[in-house]
This record gives sequence, C-alpha cells and structure tokens, in this order.
Amino acid sequence: MKKLFFVLFSLTINVDTFAAFESTYEPLQSEKILFINGNILDGEGNELLDTDLLIADGKIIAIGKGISVDDKDIKIIDAKNKWITPGIIDIHSHMGVYPAPSVRTSSDGNEATSPVTAEVWAEHSMWVQDPQYALALKGGITTFHVLPGSANLIGGRGVTVKNLQRNTIQSMKYPDAKHSLKMACGENPKRVYGNRGQAPSTRMGNFAGYRKAWIEAENYLNKLEAYDAKSDEEKMVESPPKRDLRLDTLSDVLKDEILVHIHCYRAEEMALMIDVAKEFNYKITAFHHGVEAYKIADLLADNGICGALWADWWGFKHEAYDMVQANIAIVDQARGGKGCAIVHSDDERGIQRLNQEAAKARAAGNKAGYDISKARAMNWITSNPAKAAGIYHETGSLVAGKNADVVLWSGDPFSVYSLAEQVFIDGALAFDRNTGFGPVSDFDVGIVDPREDRVND
Amino acid sequence: MIRIIYFLSLFFISISAISQTIVIKGGEIHTGLNQESFIGDILIEGDTILEVSTKPLKADVVVDASNKIVTPGVIAPDTQIGILEIGAISETRDGDSNMYSMGFSVFDAINPNSTLIPWNRSNGVTSAITLPDFNWDPLSGMASYFLLDGSLRVNGVPDVALTGEIGAVSSGSRAESLILLKDLLEFASTLDEKDISSSKKISEVMEDFEVADLMELQPRDVIALYNLLNNKLPLVIKTNRASDILKLIDIKKLYGLNLILMSAQEAELVKGEIAENNIPVIVNPFDNIPDSFDELASNIRIAASLEEAGIKVMFSESRTHNYHLIRQGAGNAVANGMSYTGAIMALTSNVAKSFNIADRGILKKGMKADIVIWEDDPLEPATFPTKVFIDGNDMDLTTRSSRLTERYTDKRDLPNTYK
Repeated sequence: MKKLFFVLFSLTINVDTFAAFESTYEPLQSEKILFINGNILDGEGNELLDTDLLIADGKIIAIGKGISVDDKDIKIIDAKNKWITPGIIDIHSHMGVYPAPSVRTSSDGNEATSPVTAEVWAEHSMWVQDPQYALALKGGITTFHVLPGSANLIGGRGVTVKNLQRNTIQSMKYPDAKHSLKMACGENPKRVYGNRGQAPSTRMGNFAGYRKAWIEAENYLNKLEAYDAKSDEEKMVESPPKRDLRLDTLSDVLKDEILVHIHCYRAEEMALMIDVAKEFNYKITAFHHGVEAYKIADLLADNGICGALWADWWGFKHEAYDMVQANIAIVDQARGGKGCAIVHSDDERGIQRLNQEAAKARAAGNKAGYDISKARAMNWITSNPAKAAGIYHETGSLVAGKNADVVLWSGDPFSVYSLAEQVFIDGALAFDRNTGFGPVSDFDVGIVDPREDRVND
Repeated sequence: MIRIIYFLSLFFISISAISQTIVIKGGEIHTGLNQESFIGDILIEGDTILEVSTKPLKADVVVDASNKIVTPGVIAPDTQIGILEIGAISETRDGDSNMYSMGFSVFDAINPNSTLIPWNRSNGVTSAITLPDFNWDPLSGMASYFLLDGSLRVNGVPDVALTGEIGAVSSGSRAESLILLKDLLEFASTLDEKDISSSKKISEVMEDFEVADLMELQPRDVIALYNLLNNKLPLVIKTNRASDILKLIDIKKLYGLNLILMSAQEAELVKGEIAENNIPVIVNPFDNIPDSFDELASNIRIAASLEEAGIKVMFSESRTHNYHLIRQGAGNAVANGMSYTGAIMALTSNVAKSFNIADRGILKKGMKADIVIWEDDPLEPATFPTKVFIDGNDMDLTTRSSRLTERYTDKRDLPNTYK
C-alpha cells in the first residue's frame, strides 16, 4: 500500500514538472555587425550622436564613439544620418487573438461568458498566420504583449511574444517572460454582463466581483501553502488540494509570479483599484488606456504603476471623454520625472507607428510646458514597456549584454517621414526594407494572385 | 423711402470699405493648387482673400508667419463631426434615420457646440462633410457640409452628396445590393420635374415602382433620387473590392453619376479605369490591413499609387473625434511615395472640388479666407497650428482638452475643482 502511494506521488511530481506551453523560441542566425556613426536613442534616456554600436552573438557588445574591431567577418553598416533605437515594444496588442481578416470565426480575444475567466490564456487563441505581425515588424516592433480583451473583470493571462512569425505559439513566446493578468474596469464589463441581466451591471458590481475573486484566490493559496507545509509522510496519505485553473492564475498573482495589467480609464477607478491591490497584497504593473491618468499622475508614480496610454484617443466612450494630449507627458513627469509612461497601441494600425504616437505625445507635453527630450520619449516605447512586461533585464534598451533588438531608421524616428529600414531581433536581421527580406505568413501566399504573395505592406 | 434705402446702402458700403484688412506675412504658402510653395503674403478683407502675392502686401493688421507654413484650412471629407459626441452613447448620435433613406438629411442635427468642433478646428480642420451612418444600403442618406466656426446658426450647405455602400454583407449577397442600386437609378431616370412637383405626384409615380413599396420609400427619398441624376449630386459609395469598383464604374457610366469612391482599398487594382472616368477616391492612408476578404489588396502605398495614376485623392480617418489626424495620414502617404503637394491638395482643394464647394480649399484671390498657419510642417503629427482663420475670422483655439491640461498642470496646492 505504501508502495502504491509512493508511485502515485512520483507520478504527481512527473506531471508537475512538465511545464505546458513553454517557449521553444530560437533566434534566427545572428550576425556580427558594427553600425558606425549612427544617431542613437538608447532607451535609457540618452541621445548619442555619431555613435557606433556593436552587436554579436545576439547581444549588444558595445556602444560608443570610434569602436574598432579587428575581425574580417564583421559586417559594417554605415548609419551616418540614420537613427538607431532599441526594438520597439508594444505592451498592449491583440494581434493573433483579433487577427486580420477580422472574421467572427477567428475573433478569439474575449471569453465573454463569465465575468471572471482567469483560467483562459491569450496564447491559446493566437492565430500564428495573422498577417498583422509582419506589418508591425515593419514599424520596428520586435516584442509585443498580447492580452485578452476587456469584456471581463478578470479576462485571463496575457503573453509576451517575439515578433518572429512561426508556425507555433510556443516558438514565438518570449522565453521565461512572466504572464500578465488582464483585468478591466468600468464600462465594458458592466455593459457586457449588465445587458444580460447578470452581475456586474454597475461599477460597484465590478468591484464586488474583483474582491470576491481575490478572496477565493487567497483561500486557495492558503490551502496550497498549508499542503506544501506538510511533511512528506503527511503528503503521502493526504492528496493535494484539487487543482483549479482559474485560481491557479489568481494565486500566481498573489505569489508575484504574474504581472497585473488593468484596462481602466477613470481616475477614481484607478485609485480604487490600487486599494483593492493593497487589500489583497498584490502589485499592479500598469493601467492601460487611462485616459484620465493625468488626474492621478502622482498617485501612479508613488505606487510605481505605469500608465500605458494612447497619444490622443478619446470620445468613443464616456469614460474616454476627458482626453488631454499631454496625458503621457504628465504621467511621465510626475514627482519630478519618477513616473512611468508607456505609449501603447491596442490597435493594429497604431502598432505600426508607435514612434509617431510618441512624437505626438512628446509634442503635446512640451506644448503644455514640459521640456521632454526625444531620448526621454523613446523610453515610452522601449524600456518602459520592457519593464512592464518583466523583460527589461534582457531587452528594451541598448546596453552592453542585453539582447540585440535593434531598429535602424531612415531618419529621426520622431518624424512621420522616417521608416524602419532594418529590424534585428536577437542580433538577427528580421526585416530589411531595401531588399524586401521579411516574413510572409501562410495567409499571404497566393491569395490574390496564385503566382504571388499578397502585398503585405 | 427710396432715399432712406440709398442712405443706408451708402452707410453699409462705407462700413465695408473701412472693415479691417489682415495680412498674413512672410509664410511659406502652399496654395492647395498643384504648384510649388513660395514665400509670400496673403491679404484678407472681411471673409475673403483679396490677394496672394510674393510681393509684400499692406493691411491694418499684420500677422507674422515668417518661418511658418501657411495652407488652406483642412476640409474633412468623411466625418460625423457635429452629429456624434460619444460613440457608446446612442443618445448623442444622430446619424441614422428609421423613417427615411435617401431623403434623410443630417444637417438639422448638427450641434455647433459639440466638443469635436473646437478640437478639430484647433488642429487645423476648418470645415467638414458630415455623413449619415452607413447601414449597408446601396443608397442611404445625404451628407452635409459645414464650417467649424461654432456658429449657433450653422454655416453650411445641406445635402451636398448622397451616400451608399456596396460590398460584403453577412447575410444576403452583394449582387442584391447592386441590383437594388440599378433599380433605384432606373426608376430615378424615369422621373421628370413634374413627377416631383408635389407629394401627390410623387405618390403616383411611386405606385408604378414596386421597390418603393418594399423599401417604404417616402416622397423626400424620391426627390433625393431625382436630384442625384438631374442635379448631378455627388454620390459617395463606400466600397472596397476591385470587382465591385468596376461594377460601380459601369453604373456611373450608364446613368452619368457624379461618383466618389470611399475606402476603396482595392482601387489600386483598377486604377486605370478609375482615372479614365475621373472618379475621385477617399482613402484612409493608415488602412493597410486586410480587414476583410474585400480588402486583400490593401497596402500602405495606395495614396501614392492612385496619385500616380492621375486620380484625385482625398483622405479619411476612421475616428471622427480625431479626424484632424488625416494630416498624420497624409504624412504617412508622403513617407510611402505620395508627393507633398499632392498630399496638401488631398487635404484641401481636392475635397472642395469633389463636393462642389466652389469658394474654399485654395489660397487665391476671391476665395473665402479659411487659412491655417502652422508652426512647422503640417504633415508632421507633432506640429500644431498657431492660427486658424475661418471666413477671415481669427478663431479661438481653446478646447476642452486644453482647459483640462491647464487645470492639471497648475501647480497651486488646490483641489482641481478650485483651479
């Protein structure tokens, strides 16, 4: 009998050690490249003119003036009058879960059947042949974070993805990046469920829903921890608490293993959400959309919460009515520049030009009286979203040792006329505007003219 | 009595003679015509441009535009400005009619106090075409044109165009839409002035047209149909697939329609025929995504490609609140191959010409003074206007958004409600 228990126990161990859906990402063949005399915005707030950048083995090796390398295999790229930035990162995308063409049969971004669906994972919905990834790549996007939609109070797990289109989600997943938990405030959940005559139908109903879910998660975590604390002997006779996918996700948040990203527009709702997080002892990484973030910019800075925002969207809902174009700048400059501002897209057109969105946000901030440099504004689309995705230690800025995610721009990336000429992911060329090198999804093959690929430009 | 009128008229003549003149001085002028920009002066009197010249002009008031760019005010061709305040609140939307179809006019719904008006004006849009909702009908309501001057008595022209839509439908067939369009036009072609002279007459002609009954057409719908053919009212059709565009070109030729294509994401595939038939096209330069199976050929170079074929291009923007972003769209079009002059024309004179707005959209003598002075290149989204003139009036550029910005960048230690 004891033997049987032992067998069962080791079986459990075996099941647990298989990490489902783990990343199998492999970079393309990286090159040794020396970019010479480029104008660099490094994603750390620095503008370095006429500067060189050396990348090799998928990493950034050095950045500085007059780098010389004694290696005949090295490729030299003359970046004179061109600009170099880190790969652009979008912290809010629905590519893959709302792919193009936007047909009902592939619209898989909202599991709008229950207000709390913490058990669903966005990566299980993503269509890998979505032609939109390649369009984003042409706008310099090297990494993006895909979230479930905002129909639910708690919508499920989001996933960070390398913009290297392949045939499985696992092969695109950013290795070891934490999941996010998507939550949503305000009009969307109360509209979706209120229209069905069920809770929540009000904002107070929304809050009751969040708290109820966290209470369950706390209980679940307590049970898990109580079981973990038992001796091996006890574990042999007592089976572990029944696994619950929904509460697995929520308890992982309480264990700080999942990053919380919240769709939330109104200032007072964001302030209340901060209190819910404190009540249940988890951290909020970022509020998304936050059209009213400027009203509580100091509160966000004090709590170390990023605002992932649009440059100028407004008016589609009442909670998106109080738009100011300086929103991103005000959040960034809160508490003497301690704020964390992110330009996000939530849009398959916007993701193709996050640099232009940052340019607008910066211009509006400076019009409102701030003095924000291009170098600082570049952080909004590189290092700050990297921090919010938990991958800043590896990417998001041009610092020696980090992954060589690099964009070479035809000109100043804050100009509408500048285009990404070359995009590198992990030191490997992923897109080249001049040669036309880049990914072609299966969707694009032979669909207009059977002899050709669809023009995905 | 005659003497009094004579006296009064003298009085008014003298008033207009002493009305202030304004000169916009030394700006880089883009006239909205197909010509190179030049440094020059623009003289305004009242609501009209008196002169545009490379020589210095004098006036009572001088507005310095040196090192700045001067263009005609942007004319937005495809908005719901004035008839929509908040997208998700249906009570603030006035773009749809339950009762009328072609005869539905949105003009009376325009709200001159809408926050979208100062917002778009402060970003350089001086007038707009406002369209009713598209409801997948081949012919629907009428679009109106108005100035974004905020005047409570709306300054504009009602019913400047008829609208409609042809393409993918989730139930039924596009063939049905095309047949309906042809039936309606065939019916319209039988109408003469007498037929529409009274409601009674209209009811009589409708009796012979079964579709009128099926569609529950009203007399004013029939009048709109008559005007479409007899007064050459522009017909704006939203459509995308190349084969649909060709069908519409055939119909245009058959009935002599003044057709304008909108969206037209596959226009590139049939650009030769579009150009041959002088059909203007409204495109969204951001729309390079194959959103549906009607738009598989869409790509970022559409504006450049149509311009190259000799087609009159205009720009649209999908979000009416920020319709001014057609400037950013124009910038993207230029970044992807369109000419700069062509992009400025697309924002100004091409719209005026396509919608028969004879006195706006171009900076030249005799035109209305709708003028924007930009701090820098207007096609850069980070550029703001410094001055906006509508009908010669120097418009206030305050917006609700700028007021909120002031309130929340005010460092005084007071609640926001006391700032």
